[in-house]
Amino acid sequence: MEKIILKDSAYSIKKGTILGIKQMTESEKLFEIALEGGKRLDHEPGQFVMVSVFGAGEIPISVSSSPANNDSFDLCVRAAGKVTNTLHKLKAGDMIGIRGPFGKGFPIGILKGNDLLIIACGLGLAPLRSLIRFVFDKRQDFGKIHILYGCRNSANMLFLDEIKEWRKRNDVYFESIVDQATPDWAGKVGLVTTLIPGIQIDPDRTFVALVGPPAVYKPAIKELLSRNVPERQILISLERHMKCGVGKCGHCQIQHLYCCQDGPVFNYEAIKHLKEAF
Amino acid sequence: MQDKQYAILWKENFNNFISSLSKLHKLAAPVFKGYNNYAFENVRSGQEIALKYIPTILPPKKFFMPVHETLLEYDFSRGLKADAVTEYEEIILFGVHTCDIAGIQCLNMVFSEHPQDQNYLIHSQNIKIIGLECNEYCDEFANCHLMNTHLPDGGYDIFFTDLGDYFIVHINTQAGEDIIKDTGFFMSAQSSHLNELASYREKKQAIFKNELPVELDLIHDLFDRSFESRIWDDLDERCLACGNCTNVCPTCYCFDIRDEINLHLTAGKRYRVWDSCQLGPFAKVAGGKNFRTTRKVRQRHRYYRKFRYPMDRFSRYFCTGCGRCSRSCMAGIRLKETLKSLIGSKEGAKA
Amino acid sequence: MGKPKVAFFDFACCEGCQLQVANMGEILLDILDIVDVVEFREVMSEKWGGELDIAIIEGSITDEHSVERIKEIRKRSGILIAYGSCATIGGVNGMKNNFDLDEIREYVYGSDFHFFPTKKTMAVHQVVKVDYSVIGCPVYIPEFVEVLKAVLQDIPYSVPDYAVCVECKQNENVCMYDKGVGCLGPVTRAGCNSWCVNNGNICYGCRGIVSGPNEKGAHDILSKYNIPLDLIKNKINMYNKCREIDQNAQ
Repeated sequence: MEKIILKDSAYSIKKGTILGIKQMTESEKLFEIALEGGKRLDHEPGQFVMVSVFGAGEIPISVSSSPANNDSFDLCVRAAGKVTNTLHKLKAGDMIGIRGPFGKGFPIGILKGNDLLIIACGLGLAPLRSLIRFVFDKRQDFGKIHILYGCRNSANMLFLDEIKEWRKRNDVYFESIVDQATPDWAGKVGLVTTLIPGIQIDPDRTFVALVGPPAVYKPAIKELLSRNVPERQILISLERHMKCGVGKCGHCQIQHLYCCQDGPVFNYEAIKHLKEAF
Repeated sequence: MQDKQYAILWKENFNNFISSLSKLHKLAAPVFKGYNNYAFENVRSGQEIALKYIPTILPPKKFFMPVHETLLEYDFSRGLKADAVTEYEEIILFGVHTCDIAGIQCLNMVFSEHPQDQNYLIHSQNIKIIGLECNEYCDEFANCHLMNTHLPDGGYDIFFTDLGDYFIVHINTQAGEDIIKDTGFFMSAQSSHLNELASYREKKQAIFKNELPVELDLIHDLFDRSFESRIWDDLDERCLACGNCTNVCPTCYCFDIRDEINLHLTAGKRYRVWDSCQLGPFAKVAGGKNFRTTRKVRQRHRYYRKFRYPMDRFSRYFCTGCGRCSRSCMAGIRLKETLKSLIGSKEGAKA
Repeated sequence: MGKPKVAFFDFACCEGCQLQVANMGEILLDILDIVDVVEFREVMSEKWGGELDIAIIEGSITDEHSVERIKEIRKRSGILIAYGSCATIGGVNGMKNNFDLDEIREYVYGSDFHFFPTKKTMAVHQVVKVDYSVIGCPVYIPEFVEVLKAVLQDIPYSVPDYAVCVECKQNENVCMYDKGVGCLGPVTRAGCNSWCVNNGNICYGCRGIVSGPNEKGAHDILSKYNIPLDLIKNKINMYNKCREIDQNAQ
């Protein structure tokens, strides 16, 4: 057997350094990463990277920062398994591996000039924060913007500092809701889908970016369709178990589609007939 | 008249040919393992080779995509060093049946598709294939006529057909021509030999008949209608989720990626290992949600990955008719029976 | 930080799993390079009564004295590894649970059986918290090494939750069912690289049963191959009798 080093392997990693870590909730941390040699990640909002924690393994994480920021990027990670728990133990200055970005993100070219309704549920805010930050960076390119954010309780809320800023802005309508009210919560209680009927949107020119756990999609889409939002204007990001990121390993397959390459962002019209999608 | 595309190897020279070839190259061929089982293994002589064999336990994909394969090596003892790697060797496979050549053609398409898989492609470039025609059915499990893989259709370097006292050999590539030249023992084919090949192929038509009452072109339509079929419930009751059907399938290529670190926790490697959509944890995500919880939907997924999904992506079926999935299934799930049930079901009847 | 202190302890077992460590060859030297073995009855005479980083437990818990002893070891151990089938799933000692305890005591100890108190056999996790498990009779050393690395990295190790057939087929063994022999590979958890079948034996089910086994499907297979169900049930019970304690606890 002869061993050779592959220069253009799909499995080569780029070296990333953790610049900073912010504890966001009990189980979520925000990592700021810079690639070696000042390389740019060049991602689209909604795309993901494969993150290597050496010795523990590799996992898909969606990018949380705006592509307009070139020097570094953010990953919001919940400690849920072996690799993420190990990642949570790392410190600023530690090295990780990055492959990607992979997949299709939100179609910025199509979104430009239109209104946006961004619906985040739970950790779904992590990929959507990339879109939100991008939209704020290029605010004049977009019409009206609504952001609806739902999560289990106030202790699970991500990006609290930024949410405070978003609430203050007069060029965006922001509303949040929790499933379970705790004594510190004075806002609305219920599912994020219950906020949809109350917002003022022009369905013909509104694109929806919807990300949340699998259970939220069906009820949310039902509400959106009843508001006459066209199916192809509903953009959702599907979560699957990506291992290779390059459409080979089969783990993320949704019928004939590979979530890692054909998604993770799909428009509803294109996948509504896929029984394995929801 | 001579034909440069064809050569003749008299049977009495077969052992000499194999010995000579195995001196020049690493050579693997089907070997009898007992209990009607065969496997591709390294050979040095013609006597070791089972010329008449039913499909091997594992298909030749094991050479193109080894069960375990290192993808990346890393060392963080002093800074981080990480290299994508592959290990390969030149090897000749002798005696590959047409169904398995079709399987390799499928895998070639998958791994050449962007983003390419360099590890696979490097293995593929270093493997030469000597095909061997089936004169009769291996057993009742095969459906190679339905899949149109019972006759040679490229994908090999040279191809052997047994015509009694001699093999007629089709030379398909430069590498194939080199094998013919380097080993000696081959004669030029005369038109009489080609005539014998033609009449053999004609007789073969009488032996290989469509195994199921369905046109190949209509199978993907059948699957379009059958997603909710009750046939899948029957498979749920029988399947043990042992993963035999996917491990032995020449076109199943799903894999897991794992890390292994050294004891000093300073360096390690990332490798891939064959995985199976039939196993419970395959489609589970970190939060615990599993997108294919039942054996029913996992079996359905397997069938759709052979007869429906690849049609969209590669315009070809990913079943080669080799019969391995049926042969290796302890629970008696038989591909031909499943297809027959689908054809006979109410969804199938709508055609 | 010094090397982690490791001790081996044995309960009801044959000590064969510890023998696997003693016999592991060169890699043992590498392991001794990174851990400090302070107690290991099979290879050294020193004892250690103090705090431990890693306790490795072979054997199942079969009497009150063992219950107290394992609790005491748990208290002074940072990480506790259940090691081998007896410790992780009860193993062959579980066969005792097929019988009335007095009856089995009389059978073993004769008329003075009252002097030998006993309990139903339990796996270690059925008595104290277990952090890592190395299943197998005996343990498969490459898996033990992986578990040890996981302990040192402070990451979880999960035993594959699929059948031995997966690894067996990847090793291209001739299927035992093709040989007309009943084998527990289809319902037993992998991770052993089909060690027994690679060496011409059947799978005895020493690693425990996969989650959600298809029992009806398994019965159908046995009848198809004319293998009596009782034979397989006895084979499964040989290692997996203590599974009932977990099932009853659920």
